[in-house]
Amino acid sequence: MADSDRAPEIEVEDLVIRYGAVAAVGPVNFSVTQGEQLTLLGPSGCGKTTTLRAIAGLERPTAGAIRIRGDTVFDASRRINMPAERRGLSMVFQSYAIWPHMTVFENVAYGLRVRNASAAEIDEKVRHALDLVKMGAYASRNASQLSGGQQQRVAVARACAFSPKVLLFDEPLSNLDAKLRAQMRIELRELQHRLGVTSVYVTHDLEEALAMSDRIIVMRGGHIEQAGPAADIYNYPRTAFVADFVGSANLISGRLRADLARDGLIALEADAGRILYGEARGREAGPTPTMSVRTVHLQLNATQPAASINVWPVRVRRTVFLGDLTQVHVEWGGRELVVRQTASTAPAEGSTAYLSIDPARCVLLEADAATEAEQAPPPPTPPIVADLPIE
Amino acid sequence: MVAMTMVIVVVAIFVLYPVFYLLQAAFDVGPAEVRPPAAYGFDNFSALGKYWEIMLNTLVVTFAATIMALTFGFLTAWILTRTNVPFQRTLEQLMAVPYYVTPLLGALAWNFLGAPESGFINQVWRAGGGQGALIDITSAVGIAWVMALFEGSVAFVMIGAVMKSMDPALEEASQMSGAGRWRAMLRITLPLVAPGVLGAAIFVFAEMLGSFSAALVLGTPARFYVITTAIYQFVSQYPPRLPLAAALGVSLFAVMFGMLYLYRRITANRSFVTISGKAFRPRAIDMGWLRWVLFAVCAGYVFLSVLLPIATLVFASFQKLAVAWPAADNFTLDNYRTALSLNAVRSALSNSLFLGLLTATIGVVLTGLLAWIIQRSRLPGRGVLEYIVMFPQAVPRLVFAFGMMWAWLAFPIPIYGTFWILLIAYLTVFLPLGVRTISGVIMQLDKSLEECGQVCGASWSFRVRTIVAPLLWPGILAAWLLIFVASVRELGASILLMGPDSKVMTPAIAEAFFSTSSELTAAMALIQTVVVAAAMVVFTLMTRRAAVHGA
Ligand SMILES: Nc1ncnc2c1ncn2[C@@H]1O[C@H](COP(=O)(O)OP(=O)(O)O)[C@@H](O)[C@H]1O
Ligand SMILES: [Mg+2]
Repeated sequence: MADSDRAPEIEVEDLVIRYGAVAAVGPVNFSVTQGEQLTLLGPSGCGKTTTLRAIAGLERPTAGAIRIRGDTVFDASRRINMPAERRGLSMVFQSYAIWPHMTVFENVAYGLRVRNASAAEIDEKVRHALDLVKMGAYASRNASQLSGGQQQRVAVARACAFSPKVLLFDEPLSNLDAKLRAQMRIELRELQHRLGVTSVYVTHDLEEALAMSDRIIVMRGGHIEQAGPAADIYNYPRTAFVADFVGSANLISGRLRADLARDGLIALEADAGRILYGEARGREAGPTPTMSVRTVHLQLNATQPAASINVWPVRVRRTVFLGDLTQVHVEWGGRELVVRQTASTAPAEGSTAYLSIDPARCVLLEADAATEAEQAPPPPTPPIVADLPIE
Repeated sequence: MVAMTMVIVVVAIFVLYPVFYLLQAAFDVGPAEVRPPAAYGFDNFSALGKYWEIMLNTLVVTFAATIMALTFGFLTAWILTRTNVPFQRTLEQLMAVPYYVTPLLGALAWNFLGAPESGFINQVWRAGGGQGALIDITSAVGIAWVMALFEGSVAFVMIGAVMKSMDPALEEASQMSGAGRWRAMLRITLPLVAPGVLGAAIFVFAEMLGSFSAALVLGTPARFYVITTAIYQFVSQYPPRLPLAAALGVSLFAVMFGMLYLYRRITANRSFVTISGKAFRPRAIDMGWLRWVLFAVCAGYVFLSVLLPIATLVFASFQKLAVAWPAADNFTLDNYRTALSLNAVRSALSNSLFLGLLTATIGVVLTGLLAWIIQRSRLPGRGVLEYIVMFPQAVPRLVFAFGMMWAWLAFPIPIYGTFWILLIAYLTVFLPLGVRTISGVIMQLDKSLEECGQVCGASWSFRVRTIVAPLLWPGILAAWLLIFVASVRELGASILLMGPDSKVMTPAIAEAFFSTSSELTAAMALIQTVVVAAAMVVFTLMTRRAAVHGA
């Protein structure tokens, strides 16, 4: 875990990157502490890659400053821009960028050769790096003969071989098939822990972000939407966008009833006068107060639970079998809510059940800057179920 | 950074300096001997009105040639990409050969074949009881025919690329919705390839406008002039009419520039995004027995543009008098003996080879650097640089050479009439060829291959040595060969710029055609062809061996 007393390894300050008139990124501010694993998460085109490339020195920002271990590597106002080759970082590219005209060994040895390491040192470190990614047997293989997964491993070995302090990853798993991706996710995480390096990881895949990182920054349209530990991002999304993006959630809008608030909980009156209790977590509601509840945090009970709040009888409209989970659509105060639960306990369609929600799982959302600006209509009555982001 | 800026400045001077002088000469209405001009005006352009016949000739030849070249290109492209024609791969490789058989060679050969009186074809025709001439290769359509035979392979490459890149799913979708195969062809395929074909048409038209050698060989003896040959006539006659030639050149250049601009607009803003960059093998239509007919069409094209001309030249070069009926006592080796003993030929040939080597070697370094700057650097002026580099494409080489002649006459260092002006001319006029070839390879390279080297800590020069150059190697070799071949067979620029002590081969062949026998000319042309082919083979073998040893 990131300790707040550790020194920052990377600091990004008021970073703005424009392409012509279009602002691709910023301004954004964040820092990464030593040994921390940070993930930039967001939909395609939100500026993750651009931000990462600016840190690497491959993209020239328009404004702001970047510091690495206290050294300013970029500062627009002081006209400092250290070239990428002198920043001492390392990067795994989305396309792997394995050099097809070299062997696996030569690929991995490149960074050491650049640093004029001795032959013995090169040999030892390359073997070590290849062993780390279980590619030791392939050292003399021609790089153009590798499969996608093998290329990915070589790319990681190459990035680690010269013992950089910081590793940057740009969607390193997005070109692998689902099964390999799940496996590599674990391996990369282990590797990061073993090496203890600071890493910045870019992905649009929620599961990957949750698995890979201590801290997640959710980006949208070039801005930071929410930053925090992985569990916080998942459990307490700050805006409708994050709730949407970070997994499926029910968004329930209504008006706040301060008069009904109790036990540190706030009360939201939804359509048909239903009162939903939840947590504000110090947030200010927007013009259309909205709460978010993850679909897996709704419970369907055959008998009436004992709790006095957040319990309603509901009619089951439809059940959809999804394998590990069953998705149940229930009628709730003139609209639909979506419940996901383990497959075995699903009620029959048309039957009646008791819906209960733990108030600690209902979280008030802040006004969504972008949607407010766009004058978007309030959420419609059908449930807003945001599925896991699929690209 | 400094080196890059210097490269850009030098290139800009190479390209723009002659154009400036060309414009100056075209608008010079003062006394001929006074330089810089004493007065400017449009008189030279209004004087062109008298030569409307030349314009008309040019239009007729260019239109006819474009239509024929596109027909060849479209037919062969369609056959080779969309049908199950037999020996498809071999045919596809053969389609590149006409490009290497020059229009000059073709014109010399077709002159033997189709001259109205003495042409073989017409002789056979009359012997068979026909009247007059069956074909007249010296007519406008005849000249266009020869030009089209060689430009057809360019049209084939351009149209073939469009057809290859078309997603077959689009046609299949049409078929799935109930439309027949031919209907799919008409409603889906044709509209989708139309922009590409239009682009090819404009490109080919512009090239034909500026082409020179076929009209020189076939048209000039009968006083049939097109704009390029008229410019040459104006420059080389006595007294020369340089302002007129300049005005004609500027007009031609303006039209070509407009057309190429149009071409770029059409190909750049291709709104047909469905023609994606994905690689797929387009579905081949089963043609049944018709496929043998299609095979004959492709083979016929290769026969007419390559086999027949070469065979004709070989035959003619061993004859005392080629236009006579074949007879044993007509056979001779004298043409080759004479050609090889002529000092002019020997020095011209070695000059050409040496210039080709030099141009290709300097050219790939220069164009490689330029292509890299244009494609990959973030240098502020690189957009402008691309235009400057591609500029010579829009200027017929003859016109460009005219500008250079004028420019370097005024230049303080006396290089006019030497070997070096030819080198500069070749380097300049082949900039687009080299940059296009190497850019094509750079664009296919994932940008992150180099960026990864950078992040690994490698300096620019180390990256170029270990990553960029090795990966670009195939493109560099291809560009070297293309520039070499183009230089050795260059005519339009060389014919104006070579001096008495710096003769090169292709103009020497053209001169021989006008001043000696056509049989001797045939021998010279074949000697050049064989030497160039041998040089290409040697080069390919050497680089392949180097590659094997390097790996
Ligand atoms: N070279 C470029 N020129 C113009 N726009 C760019 C360029 N690179 C990225 N962009 C734009 O910047 C935005 C962010 O891109 P990117 O950082 O690649 O997104 P992500 O990695 O989050 O998918 C996108 O809208 C993209 O279109
Ligand atoms: Mg990206």
